[in-house]
Amino acid sequence: MKLFKSAAKPVAVARELLPTPFFDKLDAVSLVKNWHEWNGYLVADVVEAVGKEYFAIRNQSTLFDISPMCKYRVKGPDALRVMNRLVIRDVAKIGVGRVGYAMWCDEEGMVIDDGTVFRYGDDEFMLLCQEHMFTWLHDCAWGFDVSITDETHNFCGLALQGPTSFSVLKEAGLESVADMKPFDLREIEPGLWISRTGYTGDLGYELFTDSQYAHQLWDRLWGAGHKLWGLIPIGFDALEIARLEVGFLAPGLDFQPVHVVSRINRGRTPFELGFGRLVNFEKGHFNGRRALLKHRDEGSRYHLVRLDIEGKEPAKDAFIYSGRDKVVGHVTSAVWSPTAKRNIALAELEAPYGGKVKNGLWAEIYVYKEGAWQRRQKKAVVVETPFFTNARSRKTPPDLF
Amino acid sequence: MAQSEKRYDVIVIGAGHNGLVSAATLAKLGKRVCVLEKENEIGGMARNYEIADGLQAPRIAHLLYNYNPVVARELGLAEKIDKAPISTIALSDDGRHIEIANGALRYADGAEHPDAAAYAEIRRKIEKFGKLLAPLALRSPPDLSEGLSLAGAGEAAAIAKLGLELKMFGKKDMREFLRIVLSNIYDLALDEMPDGEVAGLLAADAVWGAWAGPRSPGTVFLLMYRYAYGADPSLPKRGAGAVVDAIVDVARSRGVEIRTGAAVSRLNIKNDAVTGVVLEGGSEISAKVVMSSLGAFPSMKMAGPQHYDVETVRRLRNVRAKGMTAKVNLVLRQEPKIGGVSLAQIAGRFVIAPSAKYVERAFSKAKYGEFPGAPVIEFVMPMVSDAAQRGRYLLSAIVQYIPYHLKGGWDDAARDRLTALTIDTLSQYIPELRENIAHVDALSPAFIERETGAPGGHWHHGELSTDQLLTVRPVNGMSRYAFGVRGYYLCGAGAHPGGGVSGAAGRNSALQLLKDGVLS
Amino acid sequence: MTKCDSYDAIVVGAGHNGLTTACYLAKAGLKTLVIEKNEQIGGAAVSTELYDGWIYSNCSYVCSLLRQEIIRDLELPRFGLQVVPFRGGVNLDGKGNYIGAYPDHYVMRREIARHSPIDVDAYDRYYQLVMRQCRFIRPFLLRPAPDPTSMKPRDIGELIYLVKRMYDIGPREVGEMIRFWTMSIGDFLDEFFESEFVKAKFAGSGIIGTGLGVYSPGTAYVLLHHYMGDVDGSLGAWGFARGAMGAISKALGAALEEAGGEIRTDAGLGEFVIRNGKVTGVALENGDEYRAPIVASNMDVKRTILHHVGRDKLPGDYVKAVERFKIRGSSGKLNIALDAMPRFPDLPENGEIFQGDFACNTSLEMLERAYDDWKEGYWSSGPYFDMLIPTKIDPTLAPPGKHMMSVFVQYAPYDLNVGGVRSPNNWTDEKRDAFAECVFDRLSLVCPDIRERVLHAEVRSPADIEREVGLTEGNIFQGELTFDQLLFNRPAPGYAQYNTPIEGLYIVGSSTHPGGGVMAAPGANAAREILRKLGKTTAMPTVADDEF
Repeated sequence: MKLFKSAAKPVAVARELLPTPFFDKLDAVSLVKNWHEWNGYLVADVVEAVGKEYFAIRNQSTLFDISPMCKYRVKGPDALRVMNRLVIRDVAKIGVGRVGYAMWCDEEGMVIDDGTVFRYGDDEFMLLCQEHMFTWLHDCAWGFDVSITDETHNFCGLALQGPTSFSVLKEAGLESVADMKPFDLREIEPGLWISRTGYTGDLGYELFTDSQYAHQLWDRLWGAGHKLWGLIPIGFDALEIARLEVGFLAPGLDFQPVHVVSRINRGRTPFELGFGRLVNFEKGHFNGRRALLKHRDEGSRYHLVRLDIEGKEPAKDAFIYSGRDKVVGHVTSAVWSPTAKRNIALAELEAPYGGKVKNGLWAEIYVYKEGAWQRRQKKAVVVETPFFTNARSRKTPPDLF
Repeated sequence: MAQSEKRYDVIVIGAGHNGLVSAATLAKLGKRVCVLEKENEIGGMARNYEIADGLQAPRIAHLLYNYNPVVARELGLAEKIDKAPISTIALSDDGRHIEIANGALRYADGAEHPDAAAYAEIRRKIEKFGKLLAPLALRSPPDLSEGLSLAGAGEAAAIAKLGLELKMFGKKDMREFLRIVLSNIYDLALDEMPDGEVAGLLAADAVWGAWAGPRSPGTVFLLMYRYAYGADPSLPKRGAGAVVDAIVDVARSRGVEIRTGAAVSRLNIKNDAVTGVVLEGGSEISAKVVMSSLGAFPSMKMAGPQHYDVETVRRLRNVRAKGMTAKVNLVLRQEPKIGGVSLAQIAGRFVIAPSAKYVERAFSKAKYGEFPGAPVIEFVMPMVSDAAQRGRYLLSAIVQYIPYHLKGGWDDAARDRLTALTIDTLSQYIPELRENIAHVDALSPAFIERETGAPGGHWHHGELSTDQLLTVRPVNGMSRYAFGVRGYYLCGAGAHPGGGVSGAAGRNSALQLLKDGVLS
Repeated sequence: MTKCDSYDAIVVGAGHNGLTTACYLAKAGLKTLVIEKNEQIGGAAVSTELYDGWIYSNCSYVCSLLRQEIIRDLELPRFGLQVVPFRGGVNLDGKGNYIGAYPDHYVMRREIARHSPIDVDAYDRYYQLVMRQCRFIRPFLLRPAPDPTSMKPRDIGELIYLVKRMYDIGPREVGEMIRFWTMSIGDFLDEFFESEFVKAKFAGSGIIGTGLGVYSPGTAYVLLHHYMGDVDGSLGAWGFARGAMGAISKALGAALEEAGGEIRTDAGLGEFVIRNGKVTGVALENGDEYRAPIVASNMDVKRTILHHVGRDKLPGDYVKAVERFKIRGSSGKLNIALDAMPRFPDLPENGEIFQGDFACNTSLEMLERAYDDWKEGYWSSGPYFDMLIPTKIDPTLAPPGKHMMSVFVQYAPYDLNVGGVRSPNNWTDEKRDAFAECVFDRLSLVCPDIRERVLHAEVRSPADIEREVGLTEGNIFQGELTFDQLLFNRPAPGYAQYNTPIEGLYIVGSSTHPGGGVMAAPGANAAREILRKLGKTTAMPTVADDEF
C-alpha cells in the first residue's frame, strides 16, 4: 500500500485515509457509504443496513475487511522464545499450522493488547492485533535471534463468517478446508492462507494473501457465494453485535491497551479481564510474570463481566449500581442480541462486585425517546457463559447447506 | 560421574573492592562465600600491579575519597589501612600554584589567597551537605512502593530523619541545600570568585569520572558525594591496592574462597531462581545466591535477557555509562621537578585545571568523542620514597575527558595519542618530563571496560546523575540490589550509592539479601 | 509641577503578567494603576507595524501556555482575544530531507515511518509519557510553590497535596518523573528514538530560551514547560493570537480599564519609594510620584531589586540571592517583511505544515555545538532557529499576498565576545548585521531565495531586547528554568511566594513561579497572594482536579 505519494522530490506523505486493497470492491456495493478510520484506512461501519448484515452472519455468510489489522511476522531460530516472552500463554502448545488467542502484558501485568498468534512453522509466527507492536516486538526480541517484519500494509485479509461459509469455500474450489478444525491454519494454495478463526463465534474462516491478489480473492469468493449462499459484505456495526454475543473483547472499549493511555491506573490484568486461565506461570519467565504472580495472590481489583440486563434498551455507557445508590462500575459495551433476544453487555465492576458479589446489580440507563430523556433502573444479572454458542461453529467437517 | 563442586551459600562475581566487601560482610555473618574473578589478579580498579620489574603502581584508583568509615569499622579494616590525608596543589600556568593544606587555601608559596574565605565557605557547605547525605549511602534506597508498609518503614524513617536533620540546619542552610543540590559547580564557584585555579580545582573535583562539564546541572551533587567524608583525599600507603589487600585478608580469615582466572559465562536459573553459575570451560558451581559486582547491563546479560521484563531490559540498555577517564602511569628515571613546588609539597596531589572554563572546554571536545585540546589531570607520585631507593619514580595520572566513545575507536594509534596528550600537558608544568620517562602505561576507558567489566570504563558503572541515583539506580524499579531473578543481586558501583573505593554498594547489597531472606 | 496621586495598588510594567495582576486587583475593588515605560502596553507581547502594512509580534510570537482559566475569568474574548491553534510545523535538514508535523495521528505515524519505522511506536510512547507528566504538573501552575522550610499550615498543606499526588501516580511513575525532570533532553530522546533527525526535531523545545545545551541535565523539564500548555483542552498544542501577540496585551488592558484600573504609558519608573522597610509608592523618571501601600513589579527580579530598590534597603542575603539568580540572554529575534512567500524546494507545496514552526535541526550534535559557541560568547555559527510565517494563519498581518516571518534564533550571547572582551556594548550595528547574515545563511539552507524576498528585516540581539522591553539580558523567561530556580527557589529561596523583604512590594513577572512563556500564571498567582494578605477572599482560577 502506498503510504507515500511518490518517490519524486519533494516526497509528500499521504494525508488522506487510504483505501484498503478491498475498498473498491466494497465501495461498489456500499449503499450508505458509511466509513470510518482504522489504522489510517477507510473501513465500513455499515455497507447496506446493520440488521441485514447481522443476520447474514448468523444465517448466511459475510465478508469483513480485516486488512488494516496490525500484522507482524516473527521469524528465526529464537522465534518461539520471543513469542513466549511476549505473551502470557504457552506458545509451544500452539502447533505448527495452528492459531491461538493470546494476551500480552507490560511489566506491571497490565494488558497491552490481545490478538491471535499464527504459527506458520517451527520458527515462524504471525501476530495479528489491533495495537501497534512493531517497536515493542523489537524490544521483546532484543538479545534474541529473530527478524521482525511489519506486514500490515502488504498483507490483506478477509473474514468469511457465517453458517454457509464452508459452502462458499467449496463453491470457490477450496473444498480442502473441510478437514480444518477450529484454529487450524493452512496455505491452501500457494500464497493464500486460510485459518478457521473469527470474531463472530459462528462457523467462519479468515483468508490472507498478498495485497496484489486482493481483487482476485474478493471476486472468487463473491462469485462463489453471493448468489448461491447469500454472501454479503458487512461493516463494523454488525460485527460488534456478533462479537458481544460471544463475549469477545474489543481493545479500547472493554479494556484500555496500557501502552496508549496516558492517564494512570487505566491498565487491567488478564485476571481482571476474565482471562486468568490463559496465564501460564510454568513456562518460564514472560513479560509481567512476576507482577502477575503478585496480582494472582492479591486478587483482582476489577472484574469484567457479562451482564444480562432487563428490558430492551442497550445499556450503553450505563453506570452499574449495587443496590439503589452505590456505583460499582460501568458498562463497556452493550447491544440488544437479536439471536438470544436478550439485552446484553460487558461491564467493568470494582471487586468484589462481579466476583464474589454477583447479586443485587442494577444498570442505570438513559433512554432518549422523541425529545425526552428517561432514566431507567434495570436489573443486571451476571452471566458466566456466552450469550451465543452453536455447535456448527466447531463441527468438522462443517455442514454444507 | 563428575565430582560435584562444593555448595556455597553465595557466589560473588568479580573481585573488585565491592565484591570483596560483599563477600567479607557475608562471611563475617557465617555464610559460605566464593568469589570468582576472571583476571589473574584480585582488586579490579583498586588493585596494584607491577608496572616494571619490582615497581608497584596503582592500576587505576590511586587515592581514597569516599573511603567509608562505617564499612571500614564493620569489617575491621581501619587498623589495617595506613592512610593519611594529603594536600592538593592546583597548578597554574604562571607558576603561582595554589595549595589546599589542612582545609585552607593559600598560594603554594605560602602567601594568602584572596579567595580563601570564599573557598572555605563553599567547602564548608559542600562537606556539610555531603555529610547530611552520607547516611543515605549506607541504606538501600527507599522503596516507594512499600512507602506505607512495615518493610518500607525503615527507609521511610531514614528519609524522614534526613528531612529532620535538614530542618535542624536552620532555614538558611536548608534553603541553600535545596537551591544548590541539583545545580552546577561552574555557577556555584563563579558566583563567589573570579575564574582561576580555585574555581578550576572545584570544577575538576566535581567532574572526575563523570560525563559532565562544570556547567552541567548535577555537578554540585557530585562534589557533595566526593566530599561526604571530607574534602581532602587520602593517600593509602602502598596504594589503593593496600585497601584491597586488607579486605582480602578479612575475607579469607573468615573462610571466603577467592578464585582468580575464573570467568563466569552464565548463570544457572531454575524456576525464576538462581542455582549457581557456569564457568567458561563448562564447570558449574552451585549456590543459593549469586552477587554480581559487574555493571548492571553486563550483569543482566550474564543472566540472560529472557529472565527480565522487556521494560527492564530497555532501561538497562539505556543506563548511561560513557566513561570519560583514562589512566596513565609513568615510570621516571629521576625525581621530577615542578617549578614553584617545594620538595615537601611533591608528595601531595596535583591537579591541572587552571580554570573552570578550561575544564568546560575539555568536556566540550570530549562530549563529541574527540580528544580535548588540553585534558584535566590529577596526578600523584605515590611511592617517591620507596622507588627512589631503586632509582625510579612513579607518576600516576588520572586523565579526565578522554572519551570512551572516541571517534574512530580505540586502536593503538589512539592510545599513542592519549600518551602524547598526557605527556604534553604534564610537560607544561614538569619541564624535563619527556626525557625522564622510562616506561608508559596508558589505559583507555575502552581498555578499563575490558579489564574490569565496568560499562564504558566508567568509574561508577553508570553516570551519577539525578536520573540514575537512589530509587532509580541502576534503573527504575531495581534499586534494592535484588536483580530480577530470585537470589541474584547486584553489588557493584552500578547499584546505589555508586563508585569510589567506598565498598558501600557491596555492603548494602549483602545486608539487603539477608533481609530479603533469600538464603533461608 | 509634579503629580502626586494615591492608589490602593500600583503595578510597574504593563507586560501580560503585570496586567493580569492589575486586572485581578482592580476586580477585587482596589484602585489600581499600571505604569509602563514604553508608549505601548504589552512588554514582550506587543503588536507593532514593522513596515508599511506588516503587523508583527515584537518578541514572543506564539501562545499556548496562556492559562485558559485566566482567559475565561477575565473575559478576554469579549475584549477581542481570539487564539487560533496551529498544528503543523516542520524540521528540515537543508539537504533535501524534512519531517513534518501533522495533526492526524496516522499521518504523523506515516511521516515518522519515512525516516525510521522503529521510531513510529516510539513516538507514541514518547508522547504518552510527556502528556502524563503534563497532566501531573498542570494543577501546580495555579498554586503557590510551598516553602519546604516553613511550618505554616498553608505550606504544609501544599506539600501534602504534592505528596498525595505523587502517591496517587504510584512508585514507578514517580521514578519516571524524577528521571524526566532531571534529565537532559538529549539523553531523554536517545532513550526513545534511533533516528538522529527525529531526535533533532523534538529537541528544540528543550532548549528554547535557556542557557543550556541539549545535553545539559534539566532540559527535558524545559521541554515539558513548552508542552504543558493547551489550546481548548488539546494538551501541548500551540496557537496564534489573532492580530499578533499584542492582542493579548490589548485585551488585558481593556479588561483592566473596564474594571476601573488606570494605565499610564510613557511612564518609566525612577525608583520605588520605601520608608522603614515598607513600600509607599513609586517615583517616575519624570518626577511624578504615586502613592500606594502595594506595589507589584512586573520587571524581572534583578531589575526590580538591583536597579530600582537599592542594595542598602535590603538584607545582604537577599541581595546576594538576587545577584546570583541567573537570567541569561541566549536568544535573538528577526522579524522579516516578505514581498512574497519564499520557496522551500524541499517541501511539498503549501502543505499544512507551513502553518507551524520551521526548524533546521540536523542532529543533537548540531544543537549542542550551537550551545558551545554561546558559552564562549559567540553567536552560534550554525544556529538553532524556530521560524514561523504567521501570515499563513492570520492573513490580516500583511498586505494581500505578502508575508511576515518571525525567526527566533538561538544561541546569541548577551555579552558578546570581541577579542576576548565580553560586553553587551559589543553589539554594534556591524555585529548585529553579521549576526543577521549568519541567520540568513542558515535560513538559505531551507529557503534559498529568502534574501531576495526580504523587504525589511528587523534584528534584535539579546542586548536590544533588554533595552527595549526591559528583560534582563533579553532572557525570555525572566530567569533560567533550572531546578535551582524553579518552585520554591524562584526567584529566591524564602521569597518564592511573590513577596520581597520590602513590605508591600511584590514581584509578579515570570521571574516567579511557575515561570515564563506568556502564561499569565505568575501574575494571577501573585494577585491571589496580595489579596490574601489584604484579607480579601476573591475567587481565583485553579486548574480543576478532574481535568486530568
